Amino acid sequence: MNDVLFAQLSTLGSSLALLFGIMLLWRRSLSAYVAAFQWQSAALAVLFVMIGYFGHDPELYFVAAFFFLLKVFILPHYLRRMEKRFGGERESQPYVNIATSLILAGLLVLLAYAITRPLVLVSTLPTRGGLPLAMGLIFVGLFVVVTRKKALTQIVGFLVMENGIALLAVLGTFGIPLIIELGVFLDVLMGFLVMQVFVYHIHGTFESIDVDQLNELKY
Amino acid sequence: MTGYVLEIVQVLLALLLAPGLVGFVRWLKARLQNRRGAPLWLPYFELRKLFGKEVVMSNNASWLFRVAPYIIFASAVTVTFLIPLLGARLPFDNIGDLLVVVYLLLLGTFFLALAGLDPGTAFGGMGASREMTVAAIAEPTIALAIFGLALGAGSTNLGQIVSATLANPGLALSPGYLLAFAALFVVTLAETGRLPVDNPATHLELTMIHEAMILEYSGRYLALIEWAAWLKLFVFFTLLANLFVPWGLATTLTPAALVIALVTLIIKLAVLGVVVAVVETRIAKLRLFRVPELLGMSFVLALLAVTSSFLLK
Repeated sequence: MNDVLFAQLSTLGSSLALLFGIMLLWRRSLSAYVAAFQWQSAALAVLFVMIGYFGHDPELYFVAAFFFLLKVFILPHYLRRMEKRFGGERESQPYVNIATSLILAGLLVLLAYAITRPLVLVSTLPTRGGLPLAMGLIFVGLFVVVTRKKALTQIVGFLVMENGIALLAVLGTFGIPLIIELGVFLDVLMGFLVMQVFVYHIHGTFESIDVDQLNELKY
Repeated sequence: MTGYVLEIVQVLLALLLAPGLVGFVRWLKARLQNRRGAPLWLPYFELRKLFGKEVVMSNNASWLFRVAPYIIFASAVTVTFLIPLLGARLPFDNIGDLLVVVYLLLLGTFFLALAGLDPGTAFGGMGASREMTVAAIAEPTIALAIFGLALGAGSTNLGQIVSATLANPGLALSPGYLLAFAALFVVTLAETGRLPVDNPATHLELTMIHEAMILEYSGRYLALIEWAAWLKLFVFFTLLANLFVPWGLATTLTPAALVIALVTLIIKLAVLGVVVAVVETRIAKLRLFRVPELLGMSFVLALLAVTSSFLLK
């Protein structure tokens, strides 16, 4: 009974995370992206706490706390500051339009199901139902990075992909040791600060954060 | 025998309650906008007025213009035979399942669009093209959303879906059901011409979809088409209520069970009416080119519902 509840709750949490990820393909404004990322990270932190409780792994409580602190408060704070500075631009002309990218997201989730099918069949963990959804989240995050033009949207897409990788790790192995998770968080924070510097320079050169403009550097 | 009598009672009930439901939603919207609002039974008087009026037709209209209202009304009435309104398992379940219901609804939409095109006016053509844009994404989404439920129940028969949910209450909170509900709710707003897809009370051709197609109709034709549109709203609300929250449906054909079924149906429809009225008051109408994005999102939700029901077994 406990196992069934655990499986259902972990699938529910993963579906919620995936849905917030797909919001990035649906909405157009940068503040909507940041809000979706915050809600997704909050849902994942709650999921980590729950997996720590059911899986008897108290380290996951600390991981969840750090995760919450970093991805619901620190990173969105910096993102909002950047958005206030460079924002006011909406993702109006992505490389793939919104209706098509939503359908492609659905197909990407199906692809994730097909790819993780051998893994799900072999695994005996109660959280194996959420593995395809985590894989789908990684694909959706990558899709956002590839098909969107505004640099801030690409950064949020990268962060969503990171969330997907963390979710896959926790679902597949009941979490990684705390020290490795802290290393990953530090990497994400450093990468984010480097990207922030890049966006500042792009804006300084082109007066816009449309990465299509970088093509002009070729001529 | 009593099963067949119940089916006929069901259809008559739907015909009787549909204008009341629309009147309730309109009254609630008016109240939310700080107006007094027309009473609930105004749509009944509208129907009576329209049936008494003379039909005025354009010279360019063909036989299709005269026949279409009957086809639209007939398809809407036929759908009410096949959905679980009062009882969970009914005799006509064997005739029509999920796919028949979807195609009957699409038949009505198709003939409505043709009737909009027939007189050759600009508004009719515009309404027809907009309606087809919406229907092209909305119809597969209905099929997919209910298909997600059907996978859990093992059959596309609507009565069997309801029985499976009644037998296994835990299913109602599974991700597949919740996603399918969200998808079907968005499609209900789209297919019945509610905000944010179409404004049912508009007089501006810029914002018309359903109104533009029926602009040329008058008299009894208009009465039939309006009644069919209200019946469609009733059918969608019933599907939302009875497929996802089936408790209250009569599993035995005793009078007590039927009375309980009727009372719970009215309560569920009222709750859904309140939700739709609040949503309509809060949301502004979407630009037409943003509508496929909204419907694309509901399609993805339905697709996720199917994959989570199917591939998580």
